[in-house]
Amino acid sequence: MIDKTCLKVEIAGIKLKNPVMTASGTFGYGQEYVPFVDLNRLGAMILKGITLKPKMGNPPPRIIETPSGMLNAIGLQNVGVEMLIREKLPYLQKFNTPVIINISGDTIEEYVELAERLGEVSKEMGVTGLEVNISCPNVKKRGMVWGTDAKATYEIINSIRKTTSLPLIVKLTPNVTNIKTIAQAAEEAGADALSLINTLVGMTVDIDSRKPKLANISGGLSGPAVKPVALWLVWQVFQTVNIPVIGIGGIIKVEDALEFIIAGARAIEIGTANFVNPRVTIEIIEGIEKYLIENNIKDINELVGSMKI
Amino acid sequence: MSAILNIKVKILSGKEVVPNIYLMRLKAPEITQDALSGQFIHIKCSKDNYPLLRRPFSIHRIDKEKGEIFILFQVVGEGTKLLAQRVVGDDLDIMGPIGNGFNIYPESRKIMIVGGGIGVAPLLALCEESIRQGKEVRVLISALKKELVIGEESFRNLGAKVDVATDDGSYQHKGLVTDLLEGSIREGWLANQIFACGPKSMLKKIVEISLDAHIDCQVSLEERMACGIGACLGCVCKIKTKDKKEDKVKYEFKKVCEDGPIFGGSEVVWDD
Ligand SMILES: Cc1cc2nc3c(=O)[nH]c(=O)nc-3n(C[C@H](O)[C@H](O)[C@H](O)COP(=O)(O)OP(=O)(O)OC[C@H]3O[C@@H](n4cnc5c(N)ncnc54)[C@H](O)[C@@H]3O)c2cc1C
Ligand SMILES: Cc1cc2nc3c(=O)[nH]c(=O)nc-3n(C[C@H](O)[C@H](O)[C@H](O)COP(=O)(O)O)c2cc1C
Ligand code: FES
Repeated sequence: MIDKTCLKVEIAGIKLKNPVMTASGTFGYGQEYVPFVDLNRLGAMILKGITLKPKMGNPPPRIIETPSGMLNAIGLQNVGVEMLIREKLPYLQKFNTPVIINISGDTIEEYVELAERLGEVSKEMGVTGLEVNISCPNVKKRGMVWGTDAKATYEIINSIRKTTSLPLIVKLTPNVTNIKTIAQAAEEAGADALSLINTLVGMTVDIDSRKPKLANISGGLSGPAVKPVALWLVWQVFQTVNIPVIGIGGIIKVEDALEFIIAGARAIEIGTANFVNPRVTIEIIEGIEKYLIENNIKDINELVGSMKI
Repeated sequence: MSAILNIKVKILSGKEVVPNIYLMRLKAPEITQDALSGQFIHIKCSKDNYPLLRRPFSIHRIDKEKGEIFILFQVVGEGTKLLAQRVVGDDLDIMGPIGNGFNIYPESRKIMIVGGGIGVAPLLALCEESIRQGKEVRVLISALKKELVIGEESFRNLGAKVDVATDDGSYQHKGLVTDLLEGSIREGWLANQIFACGPKSMLKKIVEISLDAHIDCQVSLEERMACGIGACLGCVCKIKTKDKKEDKVKYEFKKVCEDGPIFGGSEVVWDD
């Protein structure tokens, strides 16, 4: 048996110590988890989705537990990009873990301006890359979600690509009829990597009041319940594109992470599980290392997409 | 505020004190050192991942000498049902202490504590602390009926004067706890601070009474939580913003877990 293995992977030109990253919106701005996690040990940190201007978010209740998962309708409450730069990013400077900023917007102009602004401060503030959340509604197109349409996806990613040289990860929504065409559109538009999945749209009803349990009516489903869906989509996208794929959805233990890697994910993001076990990221990193050693795999990259069919 | 810990603690005892309401004692010296009344712990109720998310519970009593904390909880769903089934000697995975805690002003001499139903949970620790600081404390509690009155003896044993309201009149005052509060004010017992926890409708009324009587009031709020540590933005409530230039009430969403769970009564925007 080997006694050492290599966990390093490269995504969109970003060198990661290991493939474990935090999913946007589930790890705050990093600092919240410092009592539980040595941030230096993470592969990368993806922070709460940011918009150009601060966003107030949706009224409560914003979260409801569902079988093996949860629905959330946070409504992208965030401090806005200027406050992020001024008050949140400086704290993360002392860690040697890449910081990736998840960006959202209502219009192309907003995404572009965000990417420009983050590009300006990237050196000084240690912004290593952008993850573009295209699961938001396009305000100008009657709320049609960018990521549900190949043309809209191409258009928005292409516009961002032209304004920034920062590594671009495009985060896909699972609420589509054909994920492959969306993935291809993102790749053609210049994405350096794809991450998936964002949450699945869902709802719950209170039978006593006959009202929806979420104030927003619908919310995004996450947690173990979505894992099989996420795995299937990751596998399909992995077969379609030539850029690295990051697997997200319901990862709560090391076996889940390994499933995604075998199905084609070069890295993974952990979301909802952070709420259940704040140390889960570290436990999964240790678990992956143990699995590789026990299975005589010298380099994690050998495992990526190694599914036998 | 002290750092939030994620630890496993031993269940020392657990019993059903009134139908469907349980008192659980935990060995948690790491928590008692810095815990404040009004703070809560975030508990993984099951041993596996069902239910998935943790559940928040107020710290009911803090015994610093023995290094023990108590929680008092009502069974309302899956998580609390499983928690009630956990046995003595079990390890419980908790995060805490979390939140800001009640703020007892040094200059306050008289303290009024009001709890509705399971809302008494965080108030015993508050009562104990107030009395330790030499305050005169009165407690008003309410329950649906006599069998469901919780904590009356415990508050009295600490040295507080206790009055009870029951919805059906099966014990002491028939009606609302807010009747008792108004009564005490009418009689001229004016507290320097009112602290309250319970259903929203009750809290709203208490805040109105406190504003009329010009008494400072703090309330403990509840909202559904995921992370419990300020990371997910799931647990927000509406809090008025400082800017009072315009007539319209302006508000922002604050996190119950991190910015609360205790808020100034007059800051809260009550939705109907
Ligand atoms: C800061 C804080 C302190 C709390 N302290 C106590 C306490 O000391 N003792 C106690 O018995 N309960 C307390 N609660 C409420 C307790 O957390 C909920 O009753 C519990 O989460 C329900 O879990 P469940 O799985 O049994 O029920 P679920 O199946 O999740 O829900 C059953 C019903 O309980 C209500 N509920 C669920 N979650 C919450 C919540 N977070 N807040 C309010 N209502 C909820 C809903 O009306 C729901 O329909 C506190 C809540 C908060 C936010
Ligand atoms: C409370 C919450 C907030 C989220 N916020 C964002 C966000 O701001 N931007 C984003 O791209 N995804 C967001 N997500 C989606 C997650 O990053 C992730 O894609 C999804 O939850 C699936 O992973 P999981 O099952 O491991 O949680 C959020 C998810 C949750 C549960
Ligand atoms: S529960 Fe996550 S922010 Fe309060």
